[in-house]
Amino acid sequence: MHSEKTQYLFKVTGVFGLLLLLTASVGCKGTKKYLLQGEILDKNIATNEITVKHDDIPGFMPAMVMPYHIKDPAVFQELQPGDKIAAEVSLPKEANDYLLEDVRITDESRRGQVKAPAAPHMLMPGERVPDIALVNQDGKTIHLSDFAGKALLVTFIYTRCPMPNFCPRLSSQFARIHDELKTKPDDYNKTHLLSISIDPKYDTPSVLRKYGLAYLDDESGFSHWDFASTNPTDLGHLGQAFGLQYEEQGNQISHTMNIVLIAPNGTVAKFWATDWTWTELMESMQHTLHSTMQSSESPSIPRLPLLIAPGDPGLGLAQATDELAGNISGKNSAKRGYYD
Amino acid sequence: MVRWGLFMVGMLLLIPSMVCTPNEKLSDVEVQGRWLYDDHCAECHENSHPELRKQPPNLHGLFLGKQLPSGAPTTEEQLRKTIIEGRGTMPAFDRRLREDEVKQLVAYLHKLK
Repeated sequence: MHSEKTQYLFKVTGVFGLLLLLTASVGCKGTKKYLLQGEILDKNIATNEITVKHDDIPGFMPAMVMPYHIKDPAVFQELQPGDKIAAEVSLPKEANDYLLEDVRITDESRRGQVKAPAAPHMLMPGERVPDIALVNQDGKTIHLSDFAGKALLVTFIYTRCPMPNFCPRLSSQFARIHDELKTKPDDYNKTHLLSISIDPKYDTPSVLRKYGLAYLDDESGFSHWDFASTNPTDLGHLGQAFGLQYEEQGNQISHTMNIVLIAPNGTVAKFWATDWTWTELMESMQHTLHSTMQSSESPSIPRLPLLIAPGDPGLGLAQATDELAGNISGKNSAKRGYYD
Repeated sequence: MVRWGLFMVGMLLLIPSMVCTPNEKLSDVEVQGRWLYDDHCAECHENSHPELRKQPPNLHGLFLGKQLPSGAPTTEEQLRKTIIEGRGTMPAFDRRLREDEVKQLVAYLHKLK
């Protein structure tokens, strides 16, 4: 027969034991682990993160490219871009800090074959421009690649711009170039002007058409000068590539002045900001046409992957990496550069 | 002496009318319109811009004529339409000016001579 004290002790122990079991079971449910399978694209030594392109994780996350934290430095050191891995992932304790545990390399045959794509940057002369899709004043989808073989002068405007020294000046001076080139049919046929709106919500095709007609004698001029817009994501990418900065401030859009000359082979030839004349722009266009360095020679700067692709930046990164991977293995060559 | 005094008083009375601005006294609405004109219109319409394809027209005495610079009839409604929708190389002020602001601007343009 146990004493009252012993019975009391048994009860307390029993209750604690039950509580421990409950806590353990609740704890297990709170950190449910999911299987992740994917390929490492990049490794960030500063943050102990790997960027993984992974498959669907049912009930947890769709397939995507994103960074994951690796806690164990020995494991982190072992992993390399190109490795295929399987790991366990669970809901992060802190916002956006996704942790991978029990990481195992399932295939290291492509180790080192995947290079991290270059961060988005302003293009240098000689670099290929991204093949962004735009919608012009006729409602037609056009691509920068449509102007292969021509000297293409690009700038950014918005039709509601009230500052005479900005967009009105740009468009007026582009009109002068257009009018002058019209008198030189050979050059006219090998050049093109493109004004891209930074206000795509307001600057619909019909608005752009009306705007364009204020700077052209008639609509036949649209065959030489397109007024177009693109979606905000691609506009952001174009802006990065061409050094455009813009910001909506109240009812106005504050923006830098940017003019880019794209050579017939699809590479950046020259940039201008605010210091230019229409004659200088036009002569530069003519120079790229008549220069013996163009069309037959490849640019000396190594080809970079398409940094920018339409749609979500995450998918764009995956596509860019796929294309680079395709360059290595010979697949997907159609997607590489638009002047191939 | 008295004649000198009267002459001086007369001159003193005249001077203010000579140095005052030529515009008549503006109502509150018209004063608001003048601020808006200075902020949104003057840059183009009060200065010369040789680099522009078309020179912004001078708007002084706009309501004295039967036609606006575009050739459209001089009516408040036509002026409002031009401001909101733009015309030719003039940008649209749609979403930049509220309706009440457009009215203030139009009111001031009646007085801009």
